[in-house]
Amino acid sequence: MYYYVVNPAAGRGQIRNLQTKIRSRLDELGIRGEWAKTTGPGEATRMTKAAVASGNYSTIVAVGGDDTVNEVINAVDQPNVAVGVIPLGNTNRLATQLGIVTWPQACEALAARRLTSYSLIAAGQKYFLSTLTIGFETDLDKNVDTSETGWRARTRQFGQSFGQARHYPNLGCHIDVDGRYQLECSFFTLTIANQKFLNPLADNRLIVSISNHPGRNLGLGRFVWQTLRDRSNSRLDAPTTRFLATRVVIETEPATGITVDGKVAGRTPIAIRLTDRRIRLITEKIIADFKDAVSQP
Amino acid sequence: MPRRFQDDTLGVIGTETIIGSGVTVKGTLTADSDITVDGTLEGDIKTAGDVTIGINARIKAGIQAANVNVAGDVTGNIIASGTARIAESGHVKGDITAGGLAIAAGGVFIGQSRMEAEPRLSDGSGPSN
Repeated sequence: MYYYVVNPAAGRGQIRNLQTKIRSRLDELGIRGEWAKTTGPGEATRMTKAAVASGNYSTIVAVGGDDTVNEVINAVDQPNVAVGVIPLGNTNRLATQLGIVTWPQACEALAARRLTSYSLIAAGQKYFLSTLTIGFETDLDKNVDTSETGWRARTRQFGQSFGQARHYPNLGCHIDVDGRYQLECSFFTLTIANQKFLNPLADNRLIVSISNHPGRNLGLGRFVWQTLRDRSNSRLDAPTTRFLATRVVIETEPATGITVDGKVAGRTPIAIRLTDRRIRLITEKIIADFKDAVSQP
Repeated sequence: MPRRFQDDTLGVIGTETIIGSGVTVKGTLTADSDITVDGTLEGDIKTAGDVTIGINARIKAGIQAANVNVAGDVTGNIIASGTARIAESGHVKGDITAGGLAIAAGGVFIGQSRMEAEPRLSDGSGPSN
């Protein structure tokens, strides 16, 4: 049975207008389940824990944005319980990385129930699934509201972000990688993701990407625009340094904030490791497509 | 099928390890796939894939890999099960054991070379530099 954890405040309350349509579609697909609304921060975690402990539900579905998803995954501790997402938040990075963009598509994906197992990543005491950033993007999340879309909003955000980026200095850092080697460098932005989100056939491993300051003018403008246009993707496109790891300890000079899936979640120094705890996520990515792709000559 | 070919075919970000210029690494850099170094490294490099030492790289390390391409500075021994290549800007001070060796005009090699069809890659602490 499905248990829907609904954040009524997500996406500026758009669930109010959509819930009849969504529930009707879930009915048609035969996966109606129980519909429970949160009343504030932390409530999704509490409700999920209670639902999992009851043993009545095979699937917990987060209906909201990244905050709701993160609360749900932090509370699911049974390997036989799957997690799904209906993306209705201001930021829906995790859902996008699972190939789910709209609520009708999410409903279809829930019914199809394609499962992929992802290891949780621990950053200090907090668990997360997809992306952690340090550096300029963290600063951007803190100072510029990027939730609004549309031409006017993006132009305004670009102006604010470009001004910030021009004066953002490279941060010095020291990284211990799996206790095997140490790395010293300066960086503009550092991203850590689970490589399995990029390639479902790959192992669960941390992929660490480090980029230098892209310059003052054209390069910087392109970087800022790409970052604003596609907040769901990690900035892995042209890193200057990239490596795989299972555990990294990061110190920066000066100490700075870290962002987990778009939410400020701590400060450096911080240890980040891949855990044995796994979450089975309902994904729209079809692994058969990847298998077909690799079998091509 | 080699792992790196799978990644290229998928068109997703590959798992190649890249150490960019301006980055300093100390310790044993290991990977299952290709490694490209354009920064500074002290220690060892071990991989089943290929190693590329970029033009800006300064390496004091033993290197074990399938193929090794050097365009920067390497001080240390190289063991390649395939071919070791030194580009015109490359400089290697150390011994090379490889299935094949190619040195471009202008490339510098100071050391002894040994050609073996399949050099044995050590599974211990790696080549000393």
